[in-house]
Amino acid sequence: MSSNALVGVYLLPTLIGFLIVSPWGSSFTSSLVDRFPSLKTARGQLLSGLQLISLAGFAVSTQTLWISSKISEGGSFCSSTSTFSCDDLLGNSELNVDPVLGLSWGLIGMAAFALLLFIVLVLKQEHNHPLSERFVSMGLLTTGIGILIIGLLVSYEFQEEKICLYCTTAHIANIAAFVGFFRLRRLHENRDEWNK
Amino acid sequence: MKFNVIEDENAAAVGNALIKVMSLFFIGIMIIAFTANPISVGTNEGQRAPDVEGKFYNGSGWTEFDFSGYFNTSWQEGDVSGQWVVIEFMDTDCPYCQQSAEEFGQFANTFSVNNPEWNGAHVNFLASATELDIQGHDSDRAEIEKFRSDYNHNFPYIDDIDQDNMKEWGIPGTPNYFLIQPDGIIAWSSSEHKDEKVSDAIVRLVPRESA
Repeated sequence: MSSNALVGVYLLPTLIGFLIVSPWGSSFTSSLVDRFPSLKTARGQLLSGLQLISLAGFAVSTQTLWISSKISEGGSFCSSTSTFSCDDLLGNSELNVDPVLGLSWGLIGMAAFALLLFIVLVLKQEHNHPLSERFVSMGLLTTGIGILIIGLLVSYEFQEEKICLYCTTAHIANIAAFVGFFRLRRLHENRDEWNK
Repeated sequence: MKFNVIEDENAAAVGNALIKVMSLFFIGIMIIAFTANPISVGTNEGQRAPDVEGKFYNGSGWTEFDFSGYFNTSWQEGDVSGQWVVIEFMDTDCPYCQQSAEEFGQFANTFSVNNPEWNGAHVNFLASATELDIQGHDSDRAEIEKFRSDYNHNFPYIDDIDQDNMKEWGIPGTPNYFLIQPDGIIAWSSSEHKDEKVSDAIVRLVPRESA
């Protein structure tokens, strides 16, 4: 399987999750309610979509960290002369780490999506947890900061004139999670809807 | 004896989620740890050499330098066909660099496949010419060309007058030498072996046909 085709394994659940958390999610999930009862409510729908997005985001971030590590060994994973060459970005020792602490972007992505997953799992188990409002805000803030970071990383892609599909999938997951947490926050403000 | 047990029903939700997420995180990290052996970029022996950027002069003109083109990441230790690299960080106005320039040129001729007496892997020589922040050390490309010509050097000189490469490599002073394996890993650096000449390091480390 080509390295660029492998992205589909991560992109597909991300896009399904994005669809579920989008305003059109209920029409998409209506046929699945019998099989997945948690999709009956708007809260259950949003949390299920966010869980799928967070898992896919975590997995693709792990894959990018793995690719960076393999490239530093001297190997190549998705090197290409075309625009879609993630090796040029993930293998660039200056661009594949954050400019402040020097941590790999892949590791930061893993930590961020793990945090989102933690929030989602807590809310799924106990939606009226005393810290539920804070958890939702934390998710929204994390993904909001993620959008700023995406801006920086996309500027690197313009600079190098290359596109890293694995990174792009992680970016889509972050944007999808932002939409999901935004809608979750709106829902949390409406107590009747939230407690359905 | 009575115990007052404080029960927090909500703690279970946080605890369960935390265990699940942390398990997932460590599984991810362990997969990476067991399947990859990352090599950091740096200038210590055993690290991958940082990039060298800028225009280089090879006797005919100044063109873009491609440092990565010298390396083959699939090179295996002991393979004589792989080409090694010696890079010198120097300043054309540095007296020590001037003193060692003639000898450095001789090394470049000695450890070459064009020398029938050398039966080892070919060693490419490079010089990264900077301008140290010392009074009287003003430099320009014409001076670099003249220096190269004066010492009959036939290897590329990279323009590092802006000190970008020198800073990237963390060079404290000139001259400073590195011997780099064909896979781009630093095998020897003069700062870690102050009593050993670069030529001795080449003889000691570069594989030879008869070895």
